[in-house]
Amino acid sequence: MAAGYGWVQSAAIRAGDYVFVSGVVAVDPDTGERLNGTLTSEAHRAFRNLQLVLEAAGSSLGRLVQVHAMVYDRIEYDALNRVYRQYVPEGPPARTVWSVRIIDAFKLQLDAVALA
Amino acid sequence: MASREVIVPKNDKLNVSRNFNLPHSPGIRAGDFIFLSGMLSTDPATGERSPGTMAHETRQTLANMRHLLESAGSSLERVVKINILIYDMLEFDNMNRVYREFFPKDPPARTTCGVQLSAGMKIEIECIALAG
Repeated sequence: MAAGYGWVQSAAIRAGDYVFVSGVVAVDPDTGERLNGTLTSEAHRAFRNLQLVLEAAGSSLGRLVQVHAMVYDRIEYDALNRVYRQYVPEGPPARTVWSVRIIDAFKLQLDAVALA
Repeated sequence: MASREVIVPKNDKLNVSRNFNLPHSPGIRAGDFIFLSGMLSTDPATGERSPGTMAHETRQTLANMRHLLESAGSSLERVVKINILIYDMLEFDNMNRVYREFFPKDPPARTTCGVQLSAGMKIEIECIALAG
C-alpha cells in the first residue's frame, strides 16, 4: 500500500520479535485511492488495511501490542471505540488516542506495534 | 514466538480499561517489553478521574503508572520511552517539575506533545518499559 501511494516509507518493518507498522489510513489497498469518509467508515477500512499489513508480515490483529489511534477530533472518541472493539475483541492492545491533524483530511490513522 | 500477555494493576480501581469498558488493556507484556496504554489521573481509592492542577495530575498519573508497572514486575526505573500528552504546552514546566521527582537519575527517552484531551484532563502519559 505504501509503495503504491508514493510514500517514502515502508508499510512495516519487522525487527526481532516485533513488527513496527507505518501509520495506516483509509486507502483502497489495491489502487491506493483515498477513501475519505466518516470516522466509522475510515476506521473499518484502516483496520482492514492494518490486518493486511500485519498478515503480510506474519503477524495478525491478535498479536497487536500497542496502538496509537490518531483521530482528527476528540469528539469522535465513542464512534472510534464502537468500531475499534470489533477488531480487537479479546485482550486488546495497549492504546492511546491522540487528537492530531492527519494528512489528506483523513479522520483516523492507526500507528501500531505488534509481535511478529 | 515471543509471548503476549495482558497486564493489569493489582488495585482493581485503577483498571480503567475494564471499569470504563474501553477497548484496550492497561498494558501488554510482549517479549522483553511492557507497553502501557495512555493513563489519566485516576484516584486509586475510588477509581474516578482525579482532575486538578498540572502538578497534581502529573503526580497522580505517574504514581499510578508506577503501581501498574510494579504489578507486572517492572518499575519506573525500567521505563525506556515515555510519551506525554498535555492540553497546553504552556504547562510544560509545571509538568516537568513533578516529572523529575519520579525520574531523578537516567530518565527515559521522552516526547511531549500538546493535544486535545478527554474530559477536561490536563495530561495523559503512556510508556514502554523493560519487563521485570
